[in-house]
Amino acid sequence: MLDEPLNAIERLIEPGRVSRRVYTDPEVFELEMQRVFGRSWLFVGHDSQIPNSGDFLTTELGRQPVIMIRHYDDTVRVLLNRCTHRGAKVLNEPTGNAPRMSCLYHGWTFSSDGALVGVPEDDGCTASFDRKDFGLASVPRLETYRGFVFASLAATGISLEEHLGGMKANIDDMVDRAPEGKLALDVGVHRYIFPGNWKLQVENVLDSYHVPFGHASTVNKEGDQFSRRDGDEKGAKVIEKDKTSEDWKIRRSYDMGHGHGWTSNTKLDDGKRSSAVYSAYVDALTEKLGEKRAAEVLKPKFHNSLLYPNVSIMGLNIHVRVIKPIAVNLTEVNVYPIRLVGASKEMNAANIRLLNVTHSAASFVQSDDAESFTRVQSGLRSQLTEWVDISRGMGTEDHDQDVNAPRGKATDELVVRGQYRAWLDYMREAV
Amino acid sequence: MTVSGMDSAKQAAALAFAPNDIEIFLHHEARLLDERRFRDWMELFTNDGIYWVPAVQGQKSPLNHVSLFYDDRTHMKTRIARLEHPMIHVQTPPSRTVHQIGRAMMEETGDKGGEYMVSSSVIMIEYRLDNQRLFGGQQYHRLRREGTGFRIAHKRVDLVNCDGPFGPMAVPI
Repeated sequence: MLDEPLNAIERLIEPGRVSRRVYTDPEVFELEMQRVFGRSWLFVGHDSQIPNSGDFLTTELGRQPVIMIRHYDDTVRVLLNRCTHRGAKVLNEPTGNAPRMSCLYHGWTFSSDGALVGVPEDDGCTASFDRKDFGLASVPRLETYRGFVFASLAATGISLEEHLGGMKANIDDMVDRAPEGKLALDVGVHRYIFPGNWKLQVENVLDSYHVPFGHASTVNKEGDQFSRRDGDEKGAKVIEKDKTSEDWKIRRSYDMGHGHGWTSNTKLDDGKRSSAVYSAYVDALTEKLGEKRAAEVLKPKFHNSLLYPNVSIMGLNIHVRVIKPIAVNLTEVNVYPIRLVGASKEMNAANIRLLNVTHSAASFVQSDDAESFTRVQSGLRSQLTEWVDISRGMGTEDHDQDVNAPRGKATDELVVRGQYRAWLDYMREAV
Repeated sequence: MTVSGMDSAKQAAALAFAPNDIEIFLHHEARLLDERRFRDWMELFTNDGIYWVPAVQGQKSPLNHVSLFYDDRTHMKTRIARLEHPMIHVQTPPSRTVHQIGRAMMEETGDKGGEYMVSSSVIMIEYRLDNQRLFGGQQYHRLRREGTGFRIAHKRVDLVNCDGPFGPMAVPI
């Protein structure tokens, strides 16, 4: 297919359907790594993960190993985790503190801004060797929004501001829930892998259609899902009279451009939510924000948000989810529960406990999603059927004036079509 | 089974039961899991019992850090209702498991309100749909004497790969 890459890519996407090869073809995956992950703004981490000078985490952008580290001037740096000498990964641990980073192989040492500060036996270097040419490379572009650190591996492109667009409001909505106006991703991470394409998880985070079926085992005989939030009497009404409930279907999804999207909040009986822990949280928030704003914040507007291509922020059981492609048919997902800074220990503990049962590898919810992704990847081996259907609700979307974006039913596939529009924009242009 | 740092005479005097009773109990628990008798397994726990599988080595608290499992009775009931649900896709078909429990040691004896801390090693082989996985680690049971038997007040399993990435884990270890 690479003989005519431009035409070939265009042929993979049609109105309301995509070719199975976007999930199964290793050549498509290689192109995605160059053209989507090699170009887009990607979520790297949150600055709360590296609070002190020299604190670092290692991760991947696409498949490329990087280091996010706090320099001694308190700025966050994102460096390629690759020794400039012979190529070894310099930092090998997931997290730690390393004001000086030494390569294990020949001892080259780098400062936390990437500068090469030590070369053993440097009398062997050539006369023209200049340490300045051998610092750990920084990612070409790095920007932060309210603690969320984004990088782009491309030197040019739209700003993060333009990339996020209306999605900034979703980040704001989450940050405002913290009485001190700060989030922290410092309570650990759920790591799970599935033998399927990365886009299966990306498409799933805004998919409200699958819940009564894919997650049937989380719904009791009355059609209610298990209770998720502290203080709730019961969970969301998912099924009613053997059909998807009206409460569930009432949600809407929004196609926010650049592949981003969000779904509106799950209908829960907020008036009945009550517990000592929740009341203390309401009081703390009211004191900080005033009654009016606190009341708005306490009615979160979104259930889930997707910042295409690699991160989602969930508003119900609050967490940040990072999607890491490993191969065309292998993906790792990292779920970081959000700690609301200024909320009580008990409030944050309740969310941690909730995420254990919703999104750990051993959870009630995510394990069935991983099973769905696995079966899709297996089913798509079927070569005689080329197309995957994403046409639900096509032509029924309207334009939401307040959000200024196309809006559809959350049980439709408007946002998936938005993702493939963005995908094609990235993929059709050579890097 | 032996008691850490205690000779056998003292051990016999300190316990109101044969040390082997505890090993038999651990084997019984493992067998209930392998036979998928999850409800009977839950009933081994005291009403305030906890089942905990930490997500990092040496995890100190389940309340300020994520865990793979941290189930009280309420969570256990939801988990088991789901395991019994006909539409639990991740168990269609179900996992088959076999546990191997070894090296059981009593860490502390009596005097703790009739509770006993027991450590052992655990290996669980799980097979489902052409895929076999191996889980292994240390487990720590805090057992409460009840009548002539025991109930589990607290069970902690420290997997050697607890901070690694996992495929779905539907059944308890």
